[in-house]
Amino acid sequence: MSDEADDLPDGLETRRRRRWTGLIGLTFSRWWQRASGTTAGRIISTVAAVALTIAFLLVVTGIALSLADGGMTAADDATVRITPEDQSTLSSVDGVEGPRLGATNERASEIRAHDGVAHASPVLIETGRLEVADSDPQTVRLVGVVSDDEPRTVAGLPTDRLEAGDPHYANGSYDGSRAGEIVLSRTAADRLDASAGDEVTVLTGPVRSANLSMTVTAVAETDGGEDGAPVALVHASELQSLSGAADGQLADRMVVWGDDDDARSAAADAYPDASVAVTGTADPTALFDDGLAFATSVIALVVGVTICASFVATTMGMTVDEDRRTLAVLESIGVPARGRLAVIAISTGITTLVGSFVGVGLGAAGIAAVNAAASATVAPGAVAQFHPLFVPYGIAVALLSGLVAVPYPLAVAARTSVLAEVGR
Amino acid sequence: MFNRSAQDSQSSITEADGRESTTAVRLEGVTHQYGSSGGRLRSSDERTVTALRNVSFDVAMGSIVGLEGPSGSGKSTILHAVAGLLVPTDGRVRLCGTDLTALSDAERTRMRRRHIGIVFQRFHLLPSLSARANVALPLVQAGISRSDRRARATTLLEAVGLGDRTTHLPGELSGGERQRVAIARALSTDPDVIVADEPTGELDTATGTDVLELLTDIGRDRAVVVASHDAATLSVADRVITLRDGRVNDVR
Repeated sequence: MSDEADDLPDGLETRRRRRWTGLIGLTFSRWWQRASGTTAGRIISTVAAVALTIAFLLVVTGIALSLADGGMTAADDATVRITPEDQSTLSSVDGVEGPRLGATNERASEIRAHDGVAHASPVLIETGRLEVADSDPQTVRLVGVVSDDEPRTVAGLPTDRLEAGDPHYANGSYDGSRAGEIVLSRTAADRLDASAGDEVTVLTGPVRSANLSMTVTAVAETDGGEDGAPVALVHASELQSLSGAADGQLADRMVVWGDDDDARSAAADAYPDASVAVTGTADPTALFDDGLAFATSVIALVVGVTICASFVATTMGMTVDEDRRTLAVLESIGVPARGRLAVIAISTGITTLVGSFVGVGLGAAGIAAVNAAASATVAPGAVAQFHPLFVPYGIAVALLSGLVAVPYPLAVAARTSVLAEVGR
Repeated sequence: MFNRSAQDSQSSITEADGRESTTAVRLEGVTHQYGSSGGRLRSSDERTVTALRNVSFDVAMGSIVGLEGPSGSGKSTILHAVAGLLVPTDGRVRLCGTDLTALSDAERTRMRRRHIGIVFQRFHLLPSLSARANVALPLVQAGISRSDRRARATTLLEAVGLGDRTTHLPGELSGGERQRVAIARALSTDPDVIVADEPTGELDTATGTDVLELLTDIGRDRAVVVASHDAATLSVADRVITLRDGRVNDVR
């Protein structure tokens, strides 16, 4: 009698490894032959369903990330952004203030003194009501910055249209002369019916002082932000005085321009306990700090996994149902149930994995398309952001969906009767 | 061409009690009833079909036993029982000295992998795998290395006259070539017993003759059980068992 399998000179572990390697290779080979053959329809439809679901997930998550990362008011061209560790962008939406950075004007000066740092500015964001002549008051997002002579962008607006420096700050005494300048976004100007040279009066809202007059130095198109939002740039110290943030020199964040490493080093030195992020790429951890963005991304995740798993389970179940004869043949040649089920599980894994790769690509394209559509219509600039972490995220979600889905095709496979399939 | 190594080709089996025997397959009073669900009998009120009634016979190493009889006489059921694909309702099936009816599903699968090669009437090759990959398939579960699997499969395909068809898919082969691939697959683990169910049923006469020559060659140092309606196929058997209504009607 032959016991070739048992009498192999190799160890048990080697045989087990070869067996599993062989089964995986067999599954890959079959999958590829089927995916590239004339019966590829079902595999392609499963891959497409996974891909579209992952793409949808990434687009929604990209929008949530953009929302969490600050949206319009974070549309700056700084190198490094310093924010409080426990920041929440909802604070500026619902009127509840979140944590702010302190001593910002003073530390901005320190940061500017570092080698490799071109400029640093606190950024304070407040909501105010503005009025021009006898027109109706309009609510505008006021963004306080310290400008210099270089063309820079904060909140999508050019800072160099303000007088360089921040004279009202006066080394922390806040008794310097007021420049009284304001740069309006196109939307803010349209709503106020204001143009360059007009006088604008700050009225009420969170801003304590009323009837403070400012001169419109420029009306600018927003760059990289939401053109539909009414935003205005003012000098930081003047907004701090208006809002009461002068006590403690508070600001929502600090932005730094210069060499990446130098700017990051200077920022970390100035605020060792704050979050220091190199801009240009969104910070995905911001999703966890923003309730709305987090909820949006979680909903997208749950919906994505549910849809993806449902589709994978259904289509893979149908595929296995059509493939019962193969399972029966495997049983007839001595492949045990565990091996046969592994073939199904691996097939499902391959399908979801390929779908996830396609989905990540589609997701990146979708985010680009959303931004292009927004730019062409109501909101120029990035309303959704792609992050490199989206790649492993999309793959992981697809594999999780496959894991959730795999019991169904396995159940179908387990019900296969070898006699019914290969008996005469 | 298909001779086994000296060690493997010894025409004796060590029985469970240590006796040496030349019997590869032994059926002892095998009865089988199919329940209405198509499987084993589940309850007395199910509509049942008795496929085998108290069937007993031996198959020695180095012999070919033919099973003949009309459709529904129990030929395929016997083959399935010998291959461990079903457990008879009553009686014992011994394969190389081991009582298959006493084993779990996993143990029967292991026995089948080690001792049985199956040739189906409709070949049942995996259409997405090449001829060589189909032949090498049983060796995957045996834990053979990839290079050894390929070498063994290539040798077997050459032995059945398909050395130039190793990379062809089953859909690119004729019926006779597919059956030869199926025979090569059944031989890949060098089993003690080959069961063949209508191996020439889908083939023309000339191709069928080639396949029968292969089976004859294979049967020199193995036990072969072949079920067929075809007299030419049964002519290669050393002994033919005629079944009727699940009973052994004649042995010649």
